[in-house]
Amino acid sequence: MMAIRELKVCLLGDTGVGKSSIVCRFVQDHFDHNISPTIGASFMTKTVPCGNELHKFLIWDTAGQERFHSLAPMYYRGSAAAVIVYDITKQDSFHTLKKWVKELKEHGPENIVMAIAGNKCDLSDIREVPLKDAKEYAESIGALVVETSAKNAINIEELFQGISRQIPPLDPHENGNNGAVKLGKQATQSSRRCC
Amino acid sequence: MEAEPGGGSGASLPKFVPGLINFLVRVSPPSGQSSQQQPSSSRSGSPARARPPGPPVAPASRTCGRRLREVRGVGSGDPTPCVCTQCLGVTGVPAGLQEVFGVRRPESRVCSRASLGEMSAWTMGTRSLDKRGSFFKLIDTIVSEIGELKQEMVQTDTSLENGLEVATEAHSMVRHKDDGYSMEKDVKSCPRDSGYDSLSNRLSILDRLLHTHPIWLQLSLSEEEAIEVLQSQPPGIFLVHKSTKMQKKVLSLRLPYEFGAPLKEFAIKESTYTFSLEGSGISFADLFRLVAFYCISRDVLPFTLKLPYAISTAKTETQLEELAQLGLNFWSSPADNKPPNPPPPHRPLSSDGVCPASRQLCLINGVHSIKTRTPSELECSQTNGALCFINPLFLKVHSQDLCGGLKRPGTRNPNANGTERPRSPPPRPPPPTINSLHTSPQLSRTAAQESMPETVNHNKHGNVALLGTKPTPIPPPRLKKQASFLEAEGNSAKTLTGGRPHPSLEPGLELELELELEPESSTAGNPGRAPPAEAPENCTRAQPASSESQPLWHGGRQRLSDMSISTSSSDSLEFDRSMPLFGYEADTNSSLEDYEGESDQETMAPPIKSKKKRNSNFVLPKLVKSQLRKMSGVFSSFMTPEKRMVRRIAELSRDKCTYFGCLVQDYVSFLQENKECHMSSTDLLQTIRQFMTQVKNYLSQSSELDPPIESLIPEDQIDVVLEKAMHKCILKPLKGHVETMLKDFHMADGSWKQLKENLQLVRQRNPQELGVFAPTPDFVDVEKIKVKFMTMQKMYSPEKKVMLLLRVCKLIYTVMENNSGRMYGADDFLPVLTYVIAQCDMLELDTEIEYMMELLDPSLLHGEGGYYLTSAYGALSLIKNFQEEQAARLLSSETRDTLRQWHKRRTTNRTIPSVDDFQNYLRVAFQEVNSGCTGKTLLVRPYITTEDVCQLCAEKFKVRDPEEYSLFLFVDETWQQLAEDTYPQKIKAELHSRPQPHIFHFVYKRIKNDPYGVVFQNGEENIPIS
Repeated sequence: MMAIRELKVCLLGDTGVGKSSIVCRFVQDHFDHNISPTIGASFMTKTVPCGNELHKFLIWDTAGQERFHSLAPMYYRGSAAAVIVYDITKQDSFHTLKKWVKELKEHGPENIVMAIAGNKCDLSDIREVPLKDAKEYAESIGALVVETSAKNAINIEELFQGISRQIPPLDPHENGNNGAVKLGKQATQSSRRCC
Repeated sequence: MEAEPGGGSGASLPKFVPGLINFLVRVSPPSGQSSQQQPSSSRSGSPARARPPGPPVAPASRTCGRRLREVRGVGSGDPTPCVCTQCLGVTGVPAGLQEVFGVRRPESRVCSRASLGEMSAWTMGTRSLDKRGSFFKLIDTIVSEIGELKQEMVQTDTSLENGLEVATEAHSMVRHKDDGYSMEKDVKSCPRDSGYDSLSNRLSILDRLLHTHPIWLQLSLSEEEAIEVLQSQPPGIFLVHKSTKMQKKVLSLRLPYEFGAPLKEFAIKESTYTFSLEGSGISFADLFRLVAFYCISRDVLPFTLKLPYAISTAKTETQLEELAQLGLNFWSSPADNKPPNPPPPHRPLSSDGVCPASRQLCLINGVHSIKTRTPSELECSQTNGALCFINPLFLKVHSQDLCGGLKRPGTRNPNANGTERPRSPPPRPPPPTINSLHTSPQLSRTAAQESMPETVNHNKHGNVALLGTKPTPIPPPRLKKQASFLEAEGNSAKTLTGGRPHPSLEPGLELELELELEPESSTAGNPGRAPPAEAPENCTRAQPASSESQPLWHGGRQRLSDMSISTSSSDSLEFDRSMPLFGYEADTNSSLEDYEGESDQETMAPPIKSKKKRNSNFVLPKLVKSQLRKMSGVFSSFMTPEKRMVRRIAELSRDKCTYFGCLVQDYVSFLQENKECHMSSTDLLQTIRQFMTQVKNYLSQSSELDPPIESLIPEDQIDVVLEKAMHKCILKPLKGHVETMLKDFHMADGSWKQLKENLQLVRQRNPQELGVFAPTPDFVDVEKIKVKFMTMQKMYSPEKKVMLLLRVCKLIYTVMENNSGRMYGADDFLPVLTYVIAQCDMLELDTEIEYMMELLDPSLLHGEGGYYLTSAYGALSLIKNFQEEQAARLLSSETRDTLRQWHKRRTTNRTIPSVDDFQNYLRVAFQEVNSGCTGKTLLVRPYITTEDVCQLCAEKFKVRDPEEYSLFLFVDETWQQLAEDTYPQKIKAELHSRPQPHIFHFVYKRIKNDPYGVVFQNGEENIPIS
């Protein structure tokens, strides 16, 4: 029987970029009717297998409005990973994303796994943020990056799988399948430390 | 039932009846003898059980015993009798059994016991009357019941029994290790007395396991060490330890040589609620039950477990304790080396003593434990019903050391009790329990003979009373009667607990008890059962029964208390009576307390072993305490292991004799007495949290919990259970204090005042102003939420509070989603939550949330509870800072303005700004009809309204009728009267920030417009223009 690890994942990003849509898609799309439902979409959980562990994501949504910005530290405190979402059709949201990254680097938990999600990739014809920009930026900060569409269920699963693989295994001696793991282009993560 | 229907032959009756009664009597401590008789009988009988004055009953008793056997034989030829005995002892006849097996209502057990007691007493009475047809009928009924019972029982393999007499099987049922049982058999003797002392001594397998866990439960032992220990042991001997390989507890079983390997490990599976052996479908509430079960049934094992000889033959708890003190060394000590050979003659206890008992257990288990229970079932019923037969009630209350130490302080060393027991029966008649020991038939016979005297004596008294007063006991109880017996649950329970012999000792208690009893007793007095009930009374009553009239008996209450008296008297056979009394009182006390306190008792018989105190310095209070603990252990036995554990820890925390208790009590009183030692509310709460965590760590590592928590609680639940226990023993007593402290802190630092003001402000805003764009709860919903919050305030457990918070959030979601059908994330939820919290307008929520945030088990902070707690905290802090936030916005716009202004000043040619340019000053002209204009510079802060400025002006300019005046702005050659709620400073700032400099004046003048305005314009030249 595999051990279950609970991983707190915090969702950051401007209001309206589709943070909760991503989570809803991720949590609800996939059959598992056994999962105990949470009372609302602000906090959701989903368990996925990863190597010889089970990762139970405890996903904390945050309010993106600026007036709630000051509350963010309470939400990302203790997170194993942060998903920072921007809207590829809104340049502003990408700016906000950079602010979040900066804040996490400064005040966030050490070794937090950062994943950047460019949401609404189904609307690429009105895109304002080129994928290239996002990739370069992500590379520069050692984060995962993926363009997603919560609407069309594109790359949602992959986003969380990527995070899973970036989470250092509990037992440092059993990194058998973890060593081989690389998420797309993001192999730069150096946070493979035993927590 | 073929067995002696008692057809009415006088001869057969005595023979048969004795045995039967024996059953009954054993069962029913509460039923009484007259207290007068009691002492006398004890006196006569106790010394050496020497032959008594009375008629020679010996033969009869012997016959009885045989008879009994026969009867037993009828049903299944097997252990049935035992079962019967058992039932009788613990539960009551068939119905009782069913109860236990099926419904398992604890009270009913006790109750039926009581009713049986009554019955037996009655029976006795009847017997004395002899040949009464009704009596025979009764017997008949009982016999047939027993037969049925037997048939109901599942048969287990008899092979275990090997050559044991059928009769002995019966013994196994009860914990018989000596002749006590046989004495019981003697019908003629005062059965209760002899039965009691014989019973008091018996130890069940579970008991033995509980007491000796330091020997066989070796969690820290390595595989190698386990092998080493077991290698020198005979097959069947076992250890429970933790396998480092499997990271699990394992049962290591010594195998016989033909198996090849010296031992085999069986992994123990721990689910959330139960323990089971890997591969077996039978789960147990705790390790003790598991091991006890496998001592009698092999299930997935190659054969049953065996207790080391010394353990299985120990006669008293004291002996077990001594063995247990050896711990692991037991295995290498001489104590372990006794050959498992025929027991010394004077001790009926044989090495296979275990077997019968186990068999019997097995039997019970056969009925019950085959079914694996789901957690939910576990919650409301007991896990292993079967093993619950070993009811701690009967084991604990009569613990040897206690009796020994107390009763005969001078004469005997408690430790020596075992040997001396035969001579001195223990005061308290313990109901029969499962036991591993059986009496050798011979011995029992002898014993029976010995006890004869008492019996006779007793009988006589009883008979006299009976004969004198009670003519004929009424209709023999039939089958349905038994049901009614069972119904008397409460009643019987009371009776049991009510066994307080000397009311005078504790009048208060007595009163309490009686009060408790009243309602039930009236039930008991129902017509159907009345007759049997009466009989015992008469027998037992101290006052001559003759004087009693029937109506009197209807006061059930009286009857009950009477019974208890009789019980006690019977108990105190040869002992100082006061001792048992005390013990008893404590029992009563605690049991009552338990009943009241734990409304949510669940049925579960746990073997919590009351921590044994070193008996050396036995003081009365201590005794009482320990009794109390024992008794409460009994009642807690109806709870789940988790509840039991929490309870046990809570008890421990009140016991200053333990390190843990000291720790907790000292901390609690320290906090309560030292209000100044914490800087802030957070500081206070955090130290409490820290303390709880440390105590938890201590508890999980210390040996003060006995048995170790690992043996009762599956590993993944240990922390949860400990946390709950912490709440109960630390937060519960501190709740009030903490609340007061938090309130004080917030009053002192003004944060509540601020919160209050801001709540007010926020409540005035409409939802959109707060960023709410989702449906919000209406008034009714808000009221519902308020109720939930108020309930929350009453909880001491942060987890329970969080549960309520979650319900509130759920309700909010329902409102949000119901009306829109979409999922809302935090972007929408947080504003709504803020809105709702403001609508609730509860200052206390602030401390509630703080309490939860700081005291909740940190491991829960990442979950859903933690999330919504964080959100609530966030919402509240938004509210707290609402005004500042608004101000910040204003200020920042103001700052912007100022900057722009400053920029302009630098770019346009301006004179040096005059004083009123500074933010907080405003130059106001006062125009009076006659006196012309005067100007004053007033201190006016940015958020002062025109109304306030007017008031200020009225003062400064000494206007007598301020309502006639108002503040005007004269700009661009026009007069504008400023509305009361405008901000002059903002207007000034606005004017200043215009690209074109304007000439403007603030003028305080009469509202009625008049030509003086012109005058003003001319006259008032000195208003500076920046």
